[in-house]
Amino acid sequence: MRGQKCFIASLMLAGTVACAQGRAAKAPAAADTTAKATATASAQVRTRTLSNGLKIIVWPVPANPSVALYNWFRVGSRNERPGITGLSHFFEHMMFNGAKKYGPGEFDRVMEAHGGSNNAYTSEDVTVYQDWFPRSALETIFDLEADRLGHLAIDPKVVESERGVVYSERRSSVDNNNAGLLMEQVQSTAFVAHPYQIPTIGWPSDIESWKQEDLERYFRTYYAPNNATLIVVGAVTPEQIFTLAEKYLAPIPAQPEPEPVRTQEPPQLGERRVTVRKLAQAPLLQMAFHSPRARDAQMPALDLLVRVLTEGDSSRLHRRLVEEERVALAVGGYLGAGFDPSLTWVLVDLPPGGDPTRVEALLDAELARVSTEGITDAELRKAKNIVVADFWRRLETNSGRAQALGTFEVFHGDWQALFGAPERYEAVTREQVRQVAAQVFGRNNRTVGVLVPEQASGDAKQEAAR
Amino acid sequence: MKGLKAGVVLAAWSLTAAAAPAAESPRPAVVTRDATRDAVVLPPARTVTLKNGARLLLVEKRDVPLVAFSARVRGGSLGDPAGKEGLAALTAELLQRGAGARDANQFADAVDGVGGSLEVSPGLEALVVRGQFMARDIPLMVELLADLLQRPRFEQAEVDKTRERMVSTLAAEKDGDLRQLMPVYFQAFHFGAHPYARPVGGNEASLAPLQREDVLAYAKAQLGGDRLILSVVGDFDAKQLATRLEAALGGWARASSPAPVAPPTAPTKGRRVLLVDKPDATQTYFTLGNTGISRTDAERVELGVANTVLGGRFTSLLNTALRIKSGLTYGASSRLSTPLRAGAYSVASYTKTESTGQAMDLTVEVLTRFREQGLDAPTLASAQEYVLGQFPPTLETGAQIAAQWSELAFFGLDASDVDDYARRVSQVDPARLKAVIQHRVPAPEDLTVVMVGKAADIREVARTYGPVTEMRIADPFFAPPPKAPKP
Repeated sequence: MRGQKCFIASLMLAGTVACAQGRAAKAPAAADTTAKATATASAQVRTRTLSNGLKIIVWPVPANPSVALYNWFRVGSRNERPGITGLSHFFEHMMFNGAKKYGPGEFDRVMEAHGGSNNAYTSEDVTVYQDWFPRSALETIFDLEADRLGHLAIDPKVVESERGVVYSERRSSVDNNNAGLLMEQVQSTAFVAHPYQIPTIGWPSDIESWKQEDLERYFRTYYAPNNATLIVVGAVTPEQIFTLAEKYLAPIPAQPEPEPVRTQEPPQLGERRVTVRKLAQAPLLQMAFHSPRARDAQMPALDLLVRVLTEGDSSRLHRRLVEEERVALAVGGYLGAGFDPSLTWVLVDLPPGGDPTRVEALLDAELARVSTEGITDAELRKAKNIVVADFWRRLETNSGRAQALGTFEVFHGDWQALFGAPERYEAVTREQVRQVAAQVFGRNNRTVGVLVPEQASGDAKQEAAR
Repeated sequence: MKGLKAGVVLAAWSLTAAAAPAAESPRPAVVTRDATRDAVVLPPARTVTLKNGARLLLVEKRDVPLVAFSARVRGGSLGDPAGKEGLAALTAELLQRGAGARDANQFADAVDGVGGSLEVSPGLEALVVRGQFMARDIPLMVELLADLLQRPRFEQAEVDKTRERMVSTLAAEKDGDLRQLMPVYFQAFHFGAHPYARPVGGNEASLAPLQREDVLAYAKAQLGGDRLILSVVGDFDAKQLATRLEAALGGWARASSPAPVAPPTAPTKGRRVLLVDKPDATQTYFTLGNTGISRTDAERVELGVANTVLGGRFTSLLNTALRIKSGLTYGASSRLSTPLRAGAYSVASYTKTESTGQAMDLTVEVLTRFREQGLDAPTLASAQEYVLGQFPPTLETGAQIAAQWSELAFFGLDASDVDDYARRVSQVDPARLKAVIQHRVPAPEDLTVVMVGKAADIREVARTYGPVTEMRIADPFFAPPPKAPKP
């Protein structure tokens, strides 16, 4: 059931959910295995900080002859303002469009000719550049990365063409995708002060009008080695990586620290609602609640709670809305975990002709129940088991390891916290889960979004009938 | 994001889009040697064939305390009786909703409770069952899998509820990202009366009337021990697990009918256009293509390399023309689907309504030029490096290795298909490659075209591409029943 993609951007992993009402699942006999294995893995990781402030984390994993290199920059739509919304994401595109040694198109052409592929993503908080390549291409990759980090060329012709690309991306993920369209409205309504209100893809008028000097300032300010963390995982040795980093990346000068984001969202004192009316097959309902930042000690409890509510066919909300009441097609949960307090989402796909008011009433009842009664022992055990299984799934690939190390280093200030995660989750109690439910799922703390399908106008109907 | 990441498709090249290397990319001689030396091989499997014909392939992999399995039950939507499209998909969904001693809720509790995953998906030629559990839960995993395959409950209430939800979901999905649905529209229109036209998830019209009796009949005819291929990879002792699986699955009766086989497919002649009206669209999604190759085609490796250049990576010819040079789209790509018979070979992109004609014309230009000119030596070298370099991460996890073994067994291939892959890629012969491109890449004059967008604004463009059949996005099917197209 794939309407509004739900994935828990959990402290640990993107996962899916569950809730057990049957027999209590076993306590983890695997706790020992996990503790031993994490200790071993943790001992393999090496770090170094260059004189220009770039921190490098290397995890040698010789099992597969390939490498994942993830470069994390502490810049996202949180660093934007009206007029330059979407700039962080647009800049991500520009990082592939030419520098000094490798001109427009060369970065991709050379990387692919050496067997590598790449991508990047931008969120509210960070921009992450990802390279996946055979170990034979290692030095070439460092050369390519150093060229764009040290000498990006922002060619005005390319800027114009790339606007079209980004606008097409927006049309695909927002304008022509109802769940994306509604989420954008809910998020920008949930925040009145904090820049988390800005959609990462940017508002259309800004996509069409940011300027060359905006881009140049962005590069100077945020694309500094001291604002980045480089993660390398795979068929490499730490010595190899540190030597290449000294040669290629150390010459790039540090920059003054970027201005911090000072604005804090004031407490929400009453429900906010937003409606989107458009041609559609089916309604959608979304709720977003203000919740703590990634580093908050309550986050493991909140993560477990969201899993109990929305992950898998045994989850509470799926069982109530989809199976018992049959008023929904799918329920998803999403836990935002950023530098600043963000949102916890509940997303419901309704069938054609479905009644959002009825779904909302049922959701209210379920969220009130969990806020007063909490969850059962079996549900808590289940959610912890899912977290541990997800932990291992993530550590099965170079990409997963790079994403996990980066998440903990950047958002929690310590990559080693990754290996302590199973233990931290194991320590969460039912009462802690109940408390965080009561704190987050208050009506005054939420924004409700409804997409209401409209009938085609007479014109459109005739048009379709021709 | 910079690009849309396709999911990992094992041993298939349905990667996301690409563009054309222009000038020479100096061939890094060292890399080829390294890449071949660094080629991964498939970890060997202990194989067991049970008395009922079921095939087990077991691989010990002990780096993480997980176990993953991938099973195929031959049949899939090919086993749907005419007019009952989607029956295999409904059956697949119901297999997970109560089996053995557990009802639907208890079954979900058992899987989720231990942090496991278990999912049955319908496919064109097989039902696919995938799962992953902590190694300590292997006994439970085997019990659940054995129950699901041999003792599904198919309770009336679950049948009604699931069917209703699947029908509604098909409708609701049209409000989401149409990039996901384009291949379904394309297959439905392109293959017409051939079973490959069937949407594996069914369509709203065909699913709605299905009954419990239909599901029972499908299960009897199309599910059985003789149809099963099961690969398991992870932290276990293979000999012990084989014994356990034999006890659990060896008694599964054979399916009551022979496995369905699709008739051969071939490229179609001339052009045909399907225009799907979505009045609120601000962007047109288009796919053009024809029939390509099967999984066992002798030219698969060559066509895979060629497809990488045409639309299988970021710098492909298509992505270069439509995204990098013109900014018309976020992505343009080509997709090669390789079932037992020749499947679809298509190119696809999307662009704002106003530039529909420009983007489609450019796509056909790229296709035409590629067939005429093929690729030069530096581009071939680059594509070989790329394919070689991107291959090892497709065999990193237990789930990937299990899926690969099941795929090979399903198509009657052995490990050499994977183990010799790097060598075959690095030895692609340019002359032969050129012939493959001219012979296998869809010809511009013989194209099936599917467009989804605002018909009022793009109807004229559609007409320039051939005779147009029109339908609405809200219609409860993915292609109208074949009839004479409008002039």
